[in-house]
Amino acid sequence: MPEPVIAVDHLSRSFGDKQALSDVSLAVTPGCVFGLVGENGAGKSTLIKHLLGLWRPQTGTVRLFGLDPVADPVAVLGRIGYLSEEPDLPGWMQVWELLRYTQAFYPKWDTTYAERLREQFGLDPNARIKTLSKGQRARLGLIAAEAHRPELLILDEPSSGLDPIVRRDILEAIIRTVTDQGRTVIFSSHLLDEVERVSDHLAMLHRGALRFCAPLDDIKARHRRIVLHFERPQQDPPNVSGAIRVAGTGREWTVICDAGKIHPAAMARHLGAAVVDDTTASLDEIFVAHASN
Amino acid sequence: MTLRLNPASGTPLYVQLVERLKHSIATGAIKAGEQLPSVRKMAEDLLINPNTVIRAYRDLEGEGIVELRHGSGVFVQQSVEARADVMRKAEPIMRSALDRLESLDLTEDDVRRLMENELALRRDAQRRKRRA
Repeated sequence: MPEPVIAVDHLSRSFGDKQALSDVSLAVTPGCVFGLVGENGAGKSTLIKHLLGLWRPQTGTVRLFGLDPVADPVAVLGRIGYLSEEPDLPGWMQVWELLRYTQAFYPKWDTTYAERLREQFGLDPNARIKTLSKGQRARLGLIAAEAHRPELLILDEPSSGLDPIVRRDILEAIIRTVTDQGRTVIFSSHLLDEVERVSDHLAMLHRGALRFCAPLDDIKARHRRIVLHFERPQQDPPNVSGAIRVAGTGREWTVICDAGKIHPAAMARHLGAAVVDDTTASLDEIFVAHASN
Repeated sequence: MTLRLNPASGTPLYVQLVERLKHSIATGAIKAGEQLPSVRKMAEDLLINPNTVIRAYRDLEGEGIVELRHGSGVFVQQSVEARADVMRKAEPIMRSALDRLESLDLTEDDVRRLMENELALRRDAQRRKRRA
C-alpha cells in the first residue's frame, strides 16, 4: 500500500466553546480523487486549513507527503496547489502579473501549460483582476493552482456560486490531475452531483466528526432506501433500530439505513408494515440522512 | 460522442457507460475494429472519474466486445457483428409498440412485466419444441 499523500490522525480542534473538529482520522492515497462533503460549519474548511498548515492541531497529527505542514510549510506548500471559494487575488494586479508572481514560488511551473489554460479560459492577460467576473477569477485561481502540476490539488468548495461552464472547467482540471501520473485531488463541495461523478473516495463531516469515510462505491452499496406502508397512519416516526433516518407522514415512511444492519422484510414485519420500495439511496438522500442526526 | 450519464440514478455510472457503448456498437455508430476514446479523453469528455471508464472498458473486454491493446488503446473487436441494420429496423417496431401500450395507460413496470412474461412463454415454447 503506497504511503498516503495525506494522513490525518485523531485530529481535534475547538475554537472557544465550539468543537470544530472532533477526533478526525483519514488517509488519502496517491492518485485518487477524495471528496469531502458536509453542511456549512461542519468543519470542511477547518480541516483543509489544517492541511495547509494554517492551524496547528490541538490533538492529533496532520502529515502531507509524510511532512508536518506547520513545521515544514515551504516543503509542503511547494508541492500543493490550492484553490478556494472566492480566491483571494490582489484586485490591482493584471492577469499576467499574477501568473508571473505565482510562478516565482514554484520551480516546476510550466509556462506553456499556464499559457494554454489562460487562452482556453479566455483570460485577457492585461485585464486587472478586480475587473474580472467571479467565474473568471475562479479560472485564474485554477491556473495559479494547477500550472505547476502539483502532486496534490486542494480545492475548498471551488464551484460555489459559479456557472456550469466554469464548474465544468474545474471538474476537467480534477480529472486531468488524476490521469496525469497519479497526482491526487482532495476537494470539498456542496454539489453532490459533481462529487458523485468524480470521486473515488468520499468523506462526510458533520458537526466536526467524520460520519463516513470510504470508497464511493462502498458508500452507495451500503446505504439503502426502504419505503414502508402502514395500514394505519402513524402519528410518530416508527422506531427502526439501526436506521440512519426515518421520515414521512401518515401511512408512508421512508427509512435510510445501512444495508448490512437491517433486513427490510423482517423490519417491516416487526413494525406491521409492508415494504413498498427497496432501492439504493441516492447520495443526496445519504447526505441528508446523516446530516439530520 | 454525446453520452449523458446520470450519477443520481440507481444504476452505477460504469454500468450506464457499458450500456451506452454496447448500444452504440450494436447499432454501428461505433464500428467493428474502431478505436474507442482513451480513458483520459472519455473521462474528461463525460466529466467522470477515470476509474469508472476503466471499469466499463474492462467489463466490455470481459464480454469479448472490445480488446485492450497495451500501448495502443481500446478497440472494438473485429468479430463483433454490427447488427446495425437489424437494430435499426427493430427500433421503430419497439417504439410503436410502446406508444400503443402507453395509450392504454400502462406504467413502465407493467410494460416490463408484460415483456418478461412474453419472453418467458417463448422460451418455454422453444424448449418444448426442442424436446418434441
